[in-house]
Amino acid sequence: MPLGFAQRIVSRDDLVARFIDSAAGAAARVVHGTRAELATLVAGFSGDGLASDGVARFDREAQRVASRCLSMVPGVPGTVAVPDDPHALADLDLLVCEGVLGVAENGGIWLPASRLGERSALVLARHVVVVLARSSIVADLHAAYAAVDVSAESFGVFLAGPSKTADIEQSLVIGAHGAMGVTVVLLDE
Amino acid sequence: MRDRGEPRPLPVLDATGAVDHAAGAERFVANEARTTWHDASLWFVREKRDRAASTVEDWEALRDAASAIKTHTLSRLDEYLAQFEQRATARGITVHWARDAAEHNEIVLGILSARGARRLVKSKSMLTEECGLNDYLIGRGIDVVDTDLGERIVQLRNEPPSHIVMPAIHLKKEEIGETFHEHLGTPAGDDDPDALTAAARVHLRARFLAADAALTGVNFAIAETGGIVVCTNEGNADLGTALAPVHIASMGIEKLVPRAADLGVFLRLLARSATGQASTVYASHMHAARPGQALHVVLVDNGRSAQLGRADFWGSLKCIRCAACINTCPVYRRSGGYSYGSTVPGPIGSVLTPGFDLQKYASLPFASTLCGSCAAVCPVRVDLDVQLYKWRQLAVDAGYVSPVKGWLMRRLGAVLADPALLQLTVGIAGAILRVVPRPLARRLAGAWGRWRELPEMPAQSFRAWYRANRRGPD
Ligand code: SF4
Repeated sequence: MPLGFAQRIVSRDDLVARFIDSAAGAAARVVHGTRAELATLVAGFSGDGLASDGVARFDREAQRVASRCLSMVPGVPGTVAVPDDPHALADLDLLVCEGVLGVAENGGIWLPASRLGERSALVLARHVVVVLARSSIVADLHAAYAAVDVSAESFGVFLAGPSKTADIEQSLVIGAHGAMGVTVVLLDE
Repeated sequence: MRDRGEPRPLPVLDATGAVDHAAGAERFVANEARTTWHDASLWFVREKRDRAASTVEDWEALRDAASAIKTHTLSRLDEYLAQFEQRATARGITVHWARDAAEHNEIVLGILSARGARRLVKSKSMLTEECGLNDYLIGRGIDVVDTDLGERIVQLRNEPPSHIVMPAIHLKKEEIGETFHEHLGTPAGDDDPDALTAAARVHLRARFLAADAALTGVNFAIAETGGIVVCTNEGNADLGTALAPVHIASMGIEKLVPRAADLGVFLRLLARSATGQASTVYASHMHAARPGQALHVVLVDNGRSAQLGRADFWGSLKCIRCAACINTCPVYRRSGGYSYGSTVPGPIGSVLTPGFDLQKYASLPFASTLCGSCAAVCPVRVDLDVQLYKWRQLAVDAGYVSPVKGWLMRRLGAVLADPALLQLTVGIAGAILRVVPRPLARRLAGAWGRWRELPEMPAQSFRAWYRANRRGPD
C-alpha cells in the first residue's frame, strides 16, 4: 500500500528556509554556525541569551549562568555526566544534543535516546540546544519515516520547539512542563 | 487527592435516568455571555485548523490515505493486535488485555500494587476517563495526579474534562486563578496565564520527581514494530515516563496502525486538525522500557469489538481523537461539553456513546443540526452526520424517543411527501401566523417556538409568485 504523495523537487535552500519558518512557528530560535564554532556559540547562550517569554518570566533562575549543562555533542563541554538515576538531572539548566534529521514542514527534529544521553534530560532541562546539519533536513514526515527507523532505539522523539500549553483561555504559554526555550543551531554542512 | 464524590456538574437526566441533552444545553445557555464566549473560543480553534490544513497541498489525499489505512487496519484488527502483542513482548513490554473498564482498572491497580506504587502521575487519557480509573484508584489509596494543565485544573475543581483536547475550555482565567489561589497558593486575583502556568509547573514538577509510576494514553500503536506513540505539547507524558520506575500505557484496541511509515500520514493530520499546529511539540516513540524501568501496555476493548461489529457504526473506530468535529459543531459550541453527559462529547461522542447504552444516551444523536460540518473536517473521514442520522432511527425504533416526537415526525413526513397536502398545510399555517399573536403562535409551535422567533409570513408564497411570474406555457 504505497502512499504515493508527490515528491516535489525543491532546492536545499528552499528546504532550509521552510524548516526555519516552521521552527519559528513552533517558537524555537534558529541560529547559524559551523561545527568549529559550536563550543563558543553554546557558551554564549548561557545567561539571558536563553530567556524567552512565557513562564521564563517567573523563573528566578532564568537569568543566571547555565551552570549545569549536559552536552552530548563532541567538542561542546558539559558540566554534568549522564547519571544512573534520571532524577539527578532535576536541576539541569541546559541540554546540548545533535538531531538526526529535521522536518521542513513542521520544524520537528528527530532525537533518539542515544542522542539525548538520558531521556529525561529533554524535559528536565530548562533549555535545549539542538545542533542540526542543514543537509539532514527533509521535506515532510513521509520522508522522515523513510529515512529513520523509529524502532531502532527504546525511545525517540520528534521535537518541535519548547514545551507549551494553551489550556488557560487559549492563551499560548511557552514552558509548560518541559524546556522553556529551544535553540536550533543549523550547521553549514 | 481525596475522593470528593461524583464530579460536578452532573449531567441532566430525565425521569428514566437517560441523559437529557436539551436540558443540559438549556442550563448552559442560561448564561448568554458565557455561551457567546465559549462559541467564539472554539471557533477560533476551528479557524486555526483551517489555516493549517490549507498549507498542506496533499490535505484531501492525506485524509483519504488516513481513512484507508484505518479501514484496512480495522478489517484485520485481530491479526494486527496479535502482531503488536508479539512484537511488543519481544521487546520486553508487558502486554495486558482488558475486556472492559473494570478489567482495565484492576490490571492498572495490580501493576501498581505489585510495585508498592502509591503516587501515580497521569498524562491525558480519555480512555481512563471512560473507565473511571481515577476514582477507582483514589478509592484504593493511590494518589492520582493529572498532569496535563487543563486536566489538572479540572481535577482540582472536581470536574470532568469538558473537551477531549482542551479539558478546561469551559473555564475563564479568573476561575482558574481562584482555583489555583485555593489549591496552589497563588496570589488572590492573579489570573495571568503565564503566571498560573508557572505555578502549575512548579507544583507538578515536584509530583513528577516523586512519582512511583506514570500512566499515559496512546495516540498510535505500531503493529509491525510493537511500539507506541504519545503526542503532547506540554511534555508531561515524557517527564512522567522518563522519571518513574513504571510506565503504564492504556490504549483502546482501535489505536493500531500497521507500519511506522503510516505515522507520516497520521502525524501530519493530527496536530493540524486538533489545534492548528503543524506538529505537537513532542511526538514520542516508545519501543522498550528505559533500563531499570518496566513498561506495560493495556489493550482495552470496553465495547469497541461490539462497535466494530455494527455495520453502520464501525467507521467511528477510525477516530484519532483530534476533536476537530467537536470544535466545529454548532451544537457543542453552544451547549458545552457537560450537556452530553459522556466522556467524549460532540459529534464523535454522540456516535460512540449510544453504542454503550442506547437508552441512556438516546438524546445525543439528536444534539446535531445534521449540517455535516463534522464530517467535512474529520481527518479520517468518519461519516459522522450519517451515523448520527442512523442512531436516531435506532433510538426511535427502540422507543427511546418521546412518542409525540415520533408521531409528529411521521406526520411531517407524510405531509412533505404529498404536494397537495403540503400546499394546504402551508396555506393554513400562513393564515394562522398572519392573524394569531406572536407569543401565542410560538407557544403553538411547541419546543421549536420556545427559543426561536417564527418567520414573518410573506403576503404571497413562493409558489404563488412563481405561477404568476414564470415565462412559458403553464
Ligand atoms: S471523529 Fe474525526 S474529527 Fe472527530 S475527533 Fe475523531 S478524528 Fe477528529
